[in-house]
Amino acid sequence: MATTLPTWTALGPALLLGITALVLLIVDSIDPDTSNSTLLAGLSTVGSLAAFLFAGWLLVSGTGQPQTGGAITLFDDQLVVDGMSLFFALIVTSVATLVTVASHDYIADQPYQAEYYSLVMMAATGMTLMGSANSLATGFVSLELASLPSYALVTFLKKNRGSVEAGLKYFLIGALSSAVLAYGISLVYAASGHLQFDAVASAVANTEFVGVLGIGVLFVLGGFAFKTASVPFHFWAPEAYEGAPAPISAFLSSASKAAGFVLAFRVFTTAFPELAGLAGGPVTVDWVLAVEVLAVLTMFVGNFAAATQEKVKRMLAYSSVGHAGYVLIGLAALGGAPDKGFVLGASMMHLFIYGFMNTGAFLFIGLTEYWDIGRTFQDFNGLAKQAPLASVAMTVFLFSLAGLPIGGGFFSKFYLLAATAQSGTWILGAALIINSALSLFYYTRVVKAMWIEEPVNDFEIDSYPAGIYTAVIVAAVITFLLLPAFGLLSPSAVTGAAALF
Amino acid sequence: MSNPWIAIGALAVVAVLIPAGMIAVSSLLRPTVPEQGKRAVYESGEVPTGNTRIRFNIQYYMVALLFVVFDIETVLIFPWTVIYRDAVANAGLAKALGPMLVFIGVLVVGLGWAWRNGAVKWVRSPRAERQRVEQ
Repeated sequence: MATTLPTWTALGPALLLGITALVLLIVDSIDPDTSNSTLLAGLSTVGSLAAFLFAGWLLVSGTGQPQTGGAITLFDDQLVVDGMSLFFALIVTSVATLVTVASHDYIADQPYQAEYYSLVMMAATGMTLMGSANSLATGFVSLELASLPSYALVTFLKKNRGSVEAGLKYFLIGALSSAVLAYGISLVYAASGHLQFDAVASAVANTEFVGVLGIGVLFVLGGFAFKTASVPFHFWAPEAYEGAPAPISAFLSSASKAAGFVLAFRVFTTAFPELAGLAGGPVTVDWVLAVEVLAVLTMFVGNFAAATQEKVKRMLAYSSVGHAGYVLIGLAALGGAPDKGFVLGASMMHLFIYGFMNTGAFLFIGLTEYWDIGRTFQDFNGLAKQAPLASVAMTVFLFSLAGLPIGGGFFSKFYLLAATAQSGTWILGAALIINSALSLFYYTRVVKAMWIEEPVNDFEIDSYPAGIYTAVIVAAVITFLLLPAFGLLSPSAVTGAAALF
Repeated sequence: MSNPWIAIGALAVVAVLIPAGMIAVSSLLRPTVPEQGKRAVYESGEVPTGNTRIRFNIQYYMVALLFVVFDIETVLIFPWTVIYRDAVANAGLAKALGPMLVFIGVLVVGLGWAWRNGAVKWVRSPRAERQRVEQ
């Protein structure tokens, strides 16, 4: 390369998102009484799309990856930019772009639109930074930067009791698990004397405070379980996703979950690998076993609860809990795996594809809320006659979520299964297969309602909102394209993950 | 060799015993005179009006939030000003001044937004206005 950009530009995606948030506030300060929703949505879409393209360019040009000299560390090792952080920046910014495009129609009649977009951008900044955090302190601060705007966004529909109730529950459980995480961090600091991940790893290798450290590691795991909506801190997820505006449900269940996972991946693989014997030493704190238990529980709780729901949005919320269980395989199957980069890379790929198919599914729910046709499975009856294009997209999302070869979700589940086979954790593989089969049942209920059933209520769809339609169709096309293009992306995920070990 | 935790435990026991003992002894000694005034809501000697579940003006919280902006700003600017001359001498003006200007700039954007949206405009309570007319 002829010229090299200064190293701080590696944080470009996060900086672009943060600047967009500030620009939106300035625009609102100029004329606070009226909000030009096209301008605001356009600005935030341009900002998140620019961040997406920049992250993609950095990833393709090999920034922070082994071929250009390894990970870039900034601010005295507090932040790191490598393949994994750029990969997750791609996930967050792509979801943020879809969400801002869809929000244009969804919140067109609401006040405080500039604040809405600004909060989305701030949350996206925090989520992008979570992927770059290289110490427990920056990790915690960026997690809070992602969480605090999310609480406000869930309660955005202030006059809607469901939205306010969801926000209150989300905030209370969020505050509790933040406290648990902070306490866990303090215990890890007490046992190791460091916050930076590599320093923690070398300090805990032969620590005498195994008890304190063990409790600390478990508490940190609990804190991440909240952010990723995994058992035992998953209770907020169905309430928050159901009550929140649908684009925000999409944002939280895709981007926020991915950000929680990237921080968990980095903490557990760079700060605590030797505790579980991943580097070949003796096992002192077996967090791999703890994650394995959590993964199996999360899969079963999420999918069985989803199968009993009557409302589509709530079903998707519980299925999102189940998908957190699938992704947890990436950490849980690390134990005996010979190729650890492949195991973790499979989880990263699943999160990437999940970012499109789940965002799309929630945005379709946003479309039905925009039409005001009701929330239960029966209300979706005969929808395909009125809105065939959107119904095709929703069918792609649902079958891809279930793991049928109609979208990228097939390959990512296949990779996860291969990862469990490779490490010999058969119980995880069995749970994955059983739950995928079960999930096909409740996803098919929606498809059947849309395509086969006769409509119960008469409803007329009189408008086809361009923004939500664009976002849904784009998400569906990318979900479908990721089936043939899976092989193009998976190497960057696997090498990004392999760089951690 | 005695365990130092024994002394801490004894201190904890004393800390519980003293208030518990004071309450117990005073309940044995004092005369019992139930009276209306003792059961009323305490409002610093004022005659209570209404119950405890009254609504505060939201403005108090806005002022408190804006205070936090200035508070954090001060906490971070103080140590910076102390080492400012040394920092300029060692790292140059741009590296010593730039990050702080960026930080204050971000806060100014937030403050400006809050100002324009009426966070520092004192809202008059319609209920208070009505009551003033009635009296």
